[in-house]
This record gives sequence, C-alpha cells and structure tokens, in this order.
Amino acid sequence: MDIEAIRAKVKQTISHITSIDAATISDTASFDAELDLDSLSILEIAVELENQFKIHASDEELSSIRTVEGAVNLVIKRLGAEVA
Amino acid sequence: MKRVLITGVGLISSLGESSALFHKQLCEGRNGLGQIAEFVPQGFESQPGGKVLSFVPEVHLQGKPLRPLDRTGRLVASAAKLALENSGWTTQAWADHDVGLVLGTMFGSMHTISQFDRQALTGGPSSASPLDFANTVINSAAGQTAIWHKLRGINSTTATGATSGLMAIGCAADLVRYGRQTAVLVGGADEFCFEAFCGFERAGLLCGPAGKQGYPIPFDGRRTGLALAEAATGLMLEDSESAQARGATVLGEIRGHANAYNPKWHIPGHEPDAIIRAIRGAIDEARLSPADISCISASANGSVAGDRDEAAAIKAVFNGQSHRVPITAIKAMVGETLGAAGALQVIDLLEAMQDRVLPPIANLEHVDPALPNLHFCRTPQVMDGHVGLINAVGFDGHACSLIVSRPSEDDCI
Amino acid sequence: MKTFSRIAVTGLGIVTSIGTGKQQFWDSILAGRCQFGPVKSFDTHNYAVHVGAEIPEFCPQDYVLELDPSSIGRASQLAIAASRLALDDGGLLLSRVNRDRVGVCLGTTSGEPHYIERFDEQYLQGQMDKIGQEFLNSYPCHNIPFHVARELDLSGEVITIPAACVAGNYAIAHACDLLRSGKADYMLAGGADAFSRITYTGFARLGAIAPQVCQPFDRNRKGMIPGEGAATLLLEPMESALARGARIYCEIAGYGLSCDAHHMTAANPEGEGAARAMKLALEESGISPGDVDYISAHGTGTPTNDRLETIAVKKAFGSHAYNVPISSVKSMLGHTMGAASAIEAAVCALTITSGCIPPTMHWQEQDSECDLDYVPNSAREHKVRVAMNNAYAFGGNNSSLVLMACPLQEL
Repeated sequence: MDIEAIRAKVKQTISHITSIDAATISDTASFDAELDLDSLSILEIAVELENQFKIHASDEELSSIRTVEGAVNLVIKRLGAEVA
Repeated sequence: MKRVLITGVGLISSLGESSALFHKQLCEGRNGLGQIAEFVPQGFESQPGGKVLSFVPEVHLQGKPLRPLDRTGRLVASAAKLALENSGWTTQAWADHDVGLVLGTMFGSMHTISQFDRQALTGGPSSASPLDFANTVINSAAGQTAIWHKLRGINSTTATGATSGLMAIGCAADLVRYGRQTAVLVGGADEFCFEAFCGFERAGLLCGPAGKQGYPIPFDGRRTGLALAEAATGLMLEDSESAQARGATVLGEIRGHANAYNPKWHIPGHEPDAIIRAIRGAIDEARLSPADISCISASANGSVAGDRDEAAAIKAVFNGQSHRVPITAIKAMVGETLGAAGALQVIDLLEAMQDRVLPPIANLEHVDPALPNLHFCRTPQVMDGHVGLINAVGFDGHACSLIVSRPSEDDCI
Repeated sequence: MKTFSRIAVTGLGIVTSIGTGKQQFWDSILAGRCQFGPVKSFDTHNYAVHVGAEIPEFCPQDYVLELDPSSIGRASQLAIAASRLALDDGGLLLSRVNRDRVGVCLGTTSGEPHYIERFDEQYLQGQMDKIGQEFLNSYPCHNIPFHVARELDLSGEVITIPAACVAGNYAIAHACDLLRSGKADYMLAGGADAFSRITYTGFARLGAIAPQVCQPFDRNRKGMIPGEGAATLLLEPMESALARGARIYCEIAGYGLSCDAHHMTAANPEGEGAARAMKLALEESGISPGDVDYISAHGTGTPTNDRLETIAVKKAFGSHAYNVPISSVKSMLGHTMGAASAIEAAVCALTITSGCIPPTMHWQEQDSECDLDYVPNSAREHKVRVAMNNAYAFGGNNSSLVLMACPLQEL
C-alpha cells in the first residue's frame, strides 16, 4: 500500500468516527487543536487504525498519536510498507 | 406536594412520530409491526415485530458527530428532542434550570455490550472499541441524552424488566411531586436487537412464527405470545407552578402511581397479586375510587399468562363495575416495546381522552372464555371520560400502574 | 424536629474481597488490607494488564437458602448475601413485619455479565442451540433485587437503578425518598456488581487499569483496579427504629445528585457538577462545609479522576477542604462499580460509630494538584459526626450522600 493510500484510509477512518468530511482534513491536522477531538475519540481512531490496517501498536505508541501525520507514520512503521 | 403535569411528549414508533397520528392509526386498527426476517440465517423463523425502520437519527440530532451514540442512545436522544420541543422549553430556559432525566429501560444498550464483547473475543482485547465501551453501561443512553441536550439535573435510570418504562414515569413524577425537581424529562426505550429477540424466543414468549398464531392478540383465546418491537419516548413532567409561570401547554396530569413485586408470581393462584396491588395503589394515591376511572390502557401484549393475570386483576379491583370500563391494548398494534411501552400508552390515552375515542384491540375476535367478563374494545370505543388507568405487567412478577387525567380547565390557558 | 422524615441506617451487610460481614470488613479496612491479585475468572494473557480485586472463596450456598444458587447470577448471590447480613445486623425479623411494605432498591453497573459473556461465546462458536431460557430469566439487571425479594419473600417496592458507578448512592437516595413518602416501611438499599470480563476489557482498553495497585491521589498513580462486591443498608424511618429499639448507626441527612452533561467518560474539567452535588447534599442536610468531619472519596486512582475530584472538593468546601480528611477505600477494594458507593456509604456509617477513619493505602508521594489530607496509609482515630460519600460515573453523573450521627439524647 503506498503512502497516499494509507493517508486516504487514515482520513476515512477519522471521518467515519468523527463525521468530519475527509476532504477537509489536512495532512498535518492536529487532533485536538484543529479537529477538536476529545481523548476518547482519539483513542477510538487509534484502535480503529489498528483494526483497519491489521497492525498492532503498543499503548504508548497509540496514545502518542496527536496528528494525522503521526497516525500515518505509525501505520507505515507498523506495516513495514514500502512507500511508492 | 406539587401537581405533576405533562407538558410535552415525543415518540419514535412504528406508527410514526406524531402523537395525534399515532392515536389515529391505532383507532383505525393499523398494524405497525413489520415482519422480522433478519435472523432467519441463524435458525430463527420469521416473526412479527422489529425495529422502527423509518427512524433517521440525523433528522433529530444535528450539529455533532453521532458515532459516540449507539442506536439506543440515538433513539432516546431523538425522542427527548421531540419532547423538549413539544413542551415549548427554549434552549435558554432549560439552560437556566437543571432539568432532570429519568430513563426507563429493560436492557439498556445490550446490543452494544454484546458487540463490544464479541469484538474483544474475536480480535483480542486491544481491538475493542473505546467508544462502544462508554455505551456498555446500562444507563449510557441517559448520559448521552443529558450531554446532547444539556440536562444537568438528576440523571437516573430505572430497570424493573418489562415495566421499566411506566416505572420511570412514576419515579420522575415523584421527583416533581416532592419538590426535588421542577422539571424532569422521562425517556423510555429498548433497542430492538438480536440479543433481546433471542432471549425472548428462547424463553418461549414470542407469538410467531406463522405456524402458531402469527401475531399478538391480547385477551384472545387464540393468543400465543407477544411481538417484540421497538420504540422510544420522551415525556416532559413539570410542576404546575413552573408550567403556569412559563405559559406551558398542559397535555395531562399524573394523578397517582404505584408498583409492586410478587415473589410468588410463578405459583398458581398468586399470579395477579402484584397487579392488583399496583392498580389499587395508583387509584388510592390519586385519591380516587375505581368508579372514577373512565378507561384502561392495558399492558396486555398477547402473553398467555400476562393477559390472563391482568384481566383477573382488573376484575378483582373493579369488582362489579369491571364490565363498564372500556379496555384497550395497544401492544396488539405496536408490539411489546419494553422501556417505551408505558409512555406510548400514556401518550395514546391522553389523545384518546381528548379525542373521546379509545382504540380497538386489533384482531381480537374470540375473547378467551377463561377470562372474566370485561369490556374489551373490539371496535373503536367512543367514550367521554377524563381519568385513565395505565398498566404495565412484567413477565416475572413486577407490576406498575399509573393514573392520568386530562388537563383541568384551570390548566388550559 | 419531626422524626418521621428522618431516615435511620439500622443494618449493614457488606460482601467484599477483604471481608464479608461488617466486622471482618471493618477490621480489614482499618488494617489497610487489600486483595489485589492476578485475575482468576478469565484468561488475561492477551491483555496488557492482569490485576483485579476478585472476592476469593465466596460460597453462595451460605446465604442463598431458598433459591437454587446455580440458577442465579453472581451479582444476585452477592446481593442476597449482603441483604441477609443487613437484616441480621439490623435485628429485623421479617416474620413480624408486613412484607408488602419491605422493599429492595439496588444499584448495579453490569447486571449479570456472566450470562451475556456466555451468550457471546456460544454465538461465536455457532452454538446458539445451547442458549436457553435462563438468558432472559437471569441476565437483565432487574433480576438482582428481584432475586433478593424472592429469596426473602418480599413484596414491596423492588427496583434496580443501573446508574453505573453512582448506582449505590442513587439507590440509597431513592430508598430514602420512598420511606419519606410513606411508600415503604423498610428498605434494603445498596448495590452489587460481579467481576466482569466486559468491564475489565473496557477499562483496559481505555488504559485506565493500574498494573499492580490502586494508589488514589498519589503522584504516580496509574489507574484503577476493577473489583466486585455488594453492600446493603437497612433503612427505616427514625420513628420506626426508635420504636423497635434498633441500634441506629446514623441517619441519611440528605443527598445531592447532578449531571455534568459534558462527556461520557471525562468529568467536567472545572469539577462544577461534582461540586454542585456536594453543595446540594449539604443544603438538604442543613450542614455547612465546616461541619463535615470526613469525606469518602470516589478516588478511583486514575490520574484524571483524582485531580478533578480534588478541584471539586475545594470548590464545594472552600478553605475547609484542607481541614477535612478524605480517603478512598478503593485503594483496598479496587473499584467495585455499582457496589462501590453503597460499600462506601457503609464505611461512612462505620466511621461515625467507631470514631476511626480508613486510610488511603499505597500513598507514597504527594501530587502538587492533590494536596488535601488523604489519610495516607494508616487508619486514624477521628470523631466523625458528619460524613459525606461522593461517587461519580460515566455520563458525567455526580452524587453526594450525607450521613450524620444521631445521638439518642438528641432524638
């Protein structure tokens, strides 16, 4: 899966949980400041990313995700994906 | 003690979201029950009942993401919205008052509880959804509704089985009567789900499938059980001073209620005990006598035992006059909606007393000869009365009754 | 003052991981005992945490004498045990009272989770045929007080208030209202919850479970420890208690209930709702903050709860907050969910009669944001005339109960 596809799926996941239109989510958006998400929604996104991408991250890694970029990077790291 | 007035209603049901239309369709004998076929693959035969297919939460709940709310939460929050609007409270007004909420539910968010658990079992505990976990507490819909509508007063949930809905109304009425709250929103709901359906099916309480008598017929000799269905309700209860001060439209008054538990409900001969005490207790609290009751909205849902016991209890309480009081049973048309049932009966009875017509018990053709001689309405019943009795009868020993009346002339501004 | 409107606590029934029965429980509490250990009732190998506070060696046959213990769930068994103990402790002979006027009002978070957990397992294994009528007859939460009523042959008001972690306080409050309005002569009020895989999984998923111990208010606190238990208080109008010569622990002087209406799992960050519940309770009791001698905290041991609870206490008590000892028995029992605030109400009653207050165990280092007197590590002799019991729950639900001594000469 290339990085664009990962990023799109990450945004789709965020959109599904928050009802924010995926098209309006910037690549660098921060979860609390810009997307106005609470800690429960952020954790939900992290768990859903694990389920969607079939990866496993530690609780520390999951709780450190604070931006879209951070989420994409964690997925890439855990997938060991080769980025196109 | 304060007078407890009903100043707003909201409903989500298989017969719509308008209380007037709901009542009208009941009077026409319209059947709101669909046919549940979604569990056939799991080995269950098709049964009457099911979800409110027309429910669209986005119509009622806007401006915030809905994902945190499960179906039960969406049902309760939507019905609450309708009741709040119907009651005429402005957003500012209820920001200035700590409006309370009491939710009546038998299962709470059972589907979410199960779904959360199954996800953890299949995908491992770390795959379980945090948002779903927040909804695994039985009172989650009460919390979600309070958050959505900023209800900062008491936030309680009552669970007494199939009588939960009417119990919640009684508990909320007491909060107002004894001055703990000036206004309380009463929510009632049980989401239709596989888990609940399976539970009732395994307990042998359902009326289907088509090989048996395929639909619920309260009090009929052919009845075989209930149809499990879904609804959500909201009632705004307010003390009379508060209602008058804000010029509220008064829809009715709660005059009294009572409930009782019968630990020997399974022993022949003892079955109606709790129902008798509930009915008598409600009439006594209202400082009335059975002669003052104009109509009865029965709990009867087609259950063999439940309908029998309720009929016996009505006969015992009304003793000599029982043939006079017309009885309807709306669960013939909307099914058994558990947490929402009590308020649906209240909503319909208030409309009936306004409209002066009591709905018939649809499909009732052969009154069970083993039942006492009561006035079961087989056709729409014209009546002119202003005090009604509503019963809720559980299948495991609990009973609750409520007395409502039309608004008095002083309440109508 | 008229006595008919005052509600007396005349019996306590307590079933916990550190003691069953009032005396054993209280001795353990004052000794700072706790029973945190590896979870035994299900396999936690694929969880990140493994510690719970289950009740070891509970024998339902000792208390469930009329019903078949195997036909009812564990929460019902615990509730029956607590209710029998409360009746015995209160010296109330049911044969001498009108059973239509004796009610049971219990709170719970999960009902009987074992039944739905088994349902889910059978569903996933394609064994739906193994699900029988026991699922509907035993799983729903309303069965807990129904089973108590069937066991004891009680036919009054029987109700469940499944208000999660405030359920015990809510149940006691509702029972008081029923007694005051004359709808009951005696009420068994409290809460019960059995250890639940679903609950454990959820709190683990939120990262809210501590790896080893529960250390409320400590700077390095890491979370809660899920547990189980039950407590029932025998409540009756003061007049009735005096007339039958009952031993009176204290009275329930008042309560305050509120909702943050803010978030499902996070409390209002200013502690506003919790402070409001405390103020409502004090107002109803006619007590001022300076008269409160002890607070039983919600004190779950999570970083957020303990910080926000401290803010709320300061908001409600002002400068008096620094003079009132406040401790959390969850440091010993873990979080017993719907039973917690009922157990903690019993704790408050015992502080009043014993003149001792329980410690907050495992407290090692002060958190600058939690700077009140948490009674660290050792029980303390302390005269308590007025105790406050605070509890908070999912949905932003807040509750405060005020219990007050009532010396006979003042009645």
